[in-house]
Amino acid sequence: MSRQLIISLLVSFGLLAFTCDGNAASVPESKEPIKIALNEWTGQNVTAKVLGGIYESMGYKVEYVTAGAMPQFTAMQEGKLTTQPEVWTNLVGEAYPKALETKTIVELGLLGLNNYEGWAYPKYMEQMCPGLPRLEGLIACKDKLATPETFPKGRILAYPSDWGTASAKLVAGMKLPFVAVPAGSEGAEIAEIKAAFLKKAPLVLMFWKPHWVHAVYDMDWVQIDPPYSDACATDPKVGPNPDTTDDCGFPQARVVKSAWVGMEKQWPAAFSVLKNFQFDGTEQGKLVYEIDQKGRKLDDVVAEWLKSHEGTWKPWVTTATASN
Amino acid sequence: MSGERQTRSNLAGTLDMSWKDMSWLLMGLLAAIALYAAPNVTWLGTFPEHWGLPISAWTNAILAPMVVGLQGATRVLSQVIGAPMSAGRAVLDWTPWSTVTLAFFLLAYWTAGIRTACFTLASFLYIVSVGFWTPTMNTIAQIGLAIPIAILLGFAIGTLAARYPRLNTATQASLDFMQTIPTFAYLIPILLLFGFGPVVGLITSIIYAMPPMIRNTILGLQRVPPELRESGRMSGCTPLQEFWWVRVPAATPQLLVGLNQTTMAAFSMIIIASVIGGSQDIGWEVLSTMRKAQFGESLAAGVVIAVLAMILDRVSCGFTQRYVHGEQFHTNRYFWIASLGALFASVALASLVPSLWVWPDAWVIRPAAPLDTAVDWITANYGTSLNALKTTAFYYFLLPLKIGLVQAVTPMTWGLSFDGPVQIGYWAIAALAVGVATVYSDRAAASIIAVIAILLFYGTTGIPWPVFIAIVTLAAYQAGGFPTAVFAFLAQLFILVSGFWPAAMLSVYLCVAAVAICIAIGVSLGAAAANNDHLSALLRPINDGLQTVPQFVLLIPALMFFQAGDFTALIAIILYAIVPAIKYTEAGLRNVSPNSVEAGLALGCTKRQMFWQVRLPQAVPEILLGVNQTIMYALAMLVIAALVGTTDLGQEVYIALGKADAGSGLVAGISMALIAMIADRVLQNAASSRKAALGLPV
Repeated sequence: MSRQLIISLLVSFGLLAFTCDGNAASVPESKEPIKIALNEWTGQNVTAKVLGGIYESMGYKVEYVTAGAMPQFTAMQEGKLTTQPEVWTNLVGEAYPKALETKTIVELGLLGLNNYEGWAYPKYMEQMCPGLPRLEGLIACKDKLATPETFPKGRILAYPSDWGTASAKLVAGMKLPFVAVPAGSEGAEIAEIKAAFLKKAPLVLMFWKPHWVHAVYDMDWVQIDPPYSDACATDPKVGPNPDTTDDCGFPQARVVKSAWVGMEKQWPAAFSVLKNFQFDGTEQGKLVYEIDQKGRKLDDVVAEWLKSHEGTWKPWVTTATASN
Repeated sequence: MSGERQTRSNLAGTLDMSWKDMSWLLMGLLAAIALYAAPNVTWLGTFPEHWGLPISAWTNAILAPMVVGLQGATRVLSQVIGAPMSAGRAVLDWTPWSTVTLAFFLLAYWTAGIRTACFTLASFLYIVSVGFWTPTMNTIAQIGLAIPIAILLGFAIGTLAARYPRLNTATQASLDFMQTIPTFAYLIPILLLFGFGPVVGLITSIIYAMPPMIRNTILGLQRVPPELRESGRMSGCTPLQEFWWVRVPAATPQLLVGLNQTTMAAFSMIIIASVIGGSQDIGWEVLSTMRKAQFGESLAAGVVIAVLAMILDRVSCGFTQRYVHGEQFHTNRYFWIASLGALFASVALASLVPSLWVWPDAWVIRPAAPLDTAVDWITANYGTSLNALKTTAFYYFLLPLKIGLVQAVTPMTWGLSFDGPVQIGYWAIAALAVGVATVYSDRAAASIIAVIAILLFYGTTGIPWPVFIAIVTLAAYQAGGFPTAVFAFLAQLFILVSGFWPAAMLSVYLCVAAVAICIAIGVSLGAAAANNDHLSALLRPINDGLQTVPQFVLLIPALMFFQAGDFTALIAIILYAIVPAIKYTEAGLRNVSPNSVEAGLALGCTKRQMFWQVRLPQAVPEILLGVNQTIMYALAMLVIAALVGTTDLGQEVYIALGKADAGSGLVAGISMALIAMIADRVLQNAASSRKAALGLPV
């Protein structure tokens, strides 16, 4: 308790000292709160709170608004949300491109998360299926993955179907002896991972990083060659099967920062910080681990990180306030 | 339409060959031809895509300009509703937890007595000590506004509908849709109309919660005896006075039933409403813990919703009973003065003792860990046997129902192949069963057996669509006559041409499987509970819990034990939908008229004969209504079951939500509503004709 109190006091004093720096003449430009979206998963919450913490250090009023993946774009189009700093473009379906088309929201480049997605499997499976992580090894191991629902084919747990059907496309394109079963939700995927590790049972599922699961469970990725190219998705001739498209690895998501179009006018310095804002996936993973696994408070963990990484984020603030 | 009454008595077992029986025979013949030809004629097996109509696209084309046109007005409305809601939140967030707890304690004491008051006290202490205070207060602010609005609007609409018969017809039809279309299906248009924020959750809750109030208002006002109204007019009332002073007081008991049901319905929307976000309420806590698959945490949050629902239920029931029975409330002037004094004192005390104002973080208890450990332990130690259970259920029950015995029986699964002689044997046994049923029972039983035989052979996804439509239409005709049959036919046609037929058949498969198990287990449990007061007392809290704890919570252990897929979805649906099967069976058996029991005793029935030949047949109409409710609940769960990886209509609604495709979401939702309405019409009619045949009041 008291230690956290001291830390937060230290942080706020540091911030106070910083805001009295003198060069921040017109920041904050508006007393209106900057509204940052909070989605249902911790990784995004960390990103949102880190950004919010930087804004607060600059003297802005910040408000966090819980929002579902789809409704958040409606909110941002109307300015009821100012920014969502971590949009996984592959997971938000057509809602995001549709919102971009209206020109009421803007994209501010990649977040720099170093994300990856593909078929993941528990490391212990390499003993059951010695060919892993190569795709041939997975194919040879299909009987171990067969279930009554999919027999004689093997079962691969795919993303919830509202996130798209990448696994099913790859199975068809590569003509693999598997069935892609949609998971229905992130919770379902995690429950399956937990259960598989408890039972030491085989499991292959479409998953992504950064995610806190990798800090708890040792998983690896199935290697699929050749890697994804746009041509592979449209031209049957590209890739090993001359008669099918989608016979290459998975396309990788762009994780981007997006904002309400009015943000640039109302809070120019904050907009500039957002443009330069970068957040590494490994860092995010560490913080999420502290929160979800060690049960610490999100705000404390983020405050600590901000304090110990001033070298990372202060230059963005300096740039923003100098150019203002 | 003279044939209608005729058939109703047919159902009861009169043996005369009406032209309806001819139509069954004709239908059977046609079905046999269609089934025989299906493998060779592709359009019989799968409905050709180019025969369909782009209904989803049309819906979008209609919705888009409508949204633009209405947006101005709805946005203003949204501001107007939003203001009191934010105010309510602000007040509740500011007020010390001890004062809020005291206030609810006093409210419960006033309306429902000391036992409920103590329950309320314990519940609020639980909420604050597990650290869900702020989200709970936000939920109460939302519910506290949704319920009065739903009640007032419901009362107004109900009054108008009771006054103008033409409006009544339109209202009844839309009520069915309001209660059966899954909320997710109209989330997108509402979001576009009212803008992002907690108001959207509020409005969806109001839409879903209003119908019981409307129904009960209409019922209550229509049942006021004409003599009473007459006497009002005689004593010189104006129409308005007559309404407020004569009809409303006379209808009050019914109105209060509506009030209670609307309150409960608003509660069941908490989680769904928080999917949109913007409210930081207890539903959001359940959703985000579900995303992390944290069973313990999510149960802890789910219990908050359950206890709130139970408190409000008791409070509103208590209020109703006292009002109806004209009992004195536990109050007098001193109670009010003392209460007010106590509330102010608690604020003053809290300002001196900070831990009475805001519960300190250090005092927060986390009950989650042992629960999680228990689930993990079961998964690790019994994973293999649970898997065997799942495999057995698939081979011998789910797969035959889904893809038919034709495809499900293989040497790998059943140890034999379903070829020529086995198939002939199967049909021979089926024909024999139908024949025996025709001779010894009534034709209803015979046709049910025939339908089950066809369904098991082809599976819901394998049965040619013309055959399925014919069977359902005919069943509707048998149960409810010509109008019901036309409705059933057109409803199925809508699903067919809108392109959702395959998904709808998967929904039917999941529902049939779940309902069959619910009937088997639920009716037996209900029957046992009707004979055993201890069991009955044991089942009551379990039933309440299953219906008030949000279903999302139960999905997590089911997922850990059985993995994503149909089986887990089935478990989740059964847990929710079994409750009415138990409750209605028990009520039906307990309410069998004493005269019948007396007569049975006089005839020297054994206990067994008493049950099978006297009580059970008398309870059948009530049980049928329970089955009807079970089907409604099962269909309502399909959307939530989509979270564990089904591929049916529920999933289509989700996919549309992800694509922000208002049209196809709405059409998929309407398709689900239509399935529910067909089942409802058929069973309601069957129940009332049973009642008529038994000479019970309908």
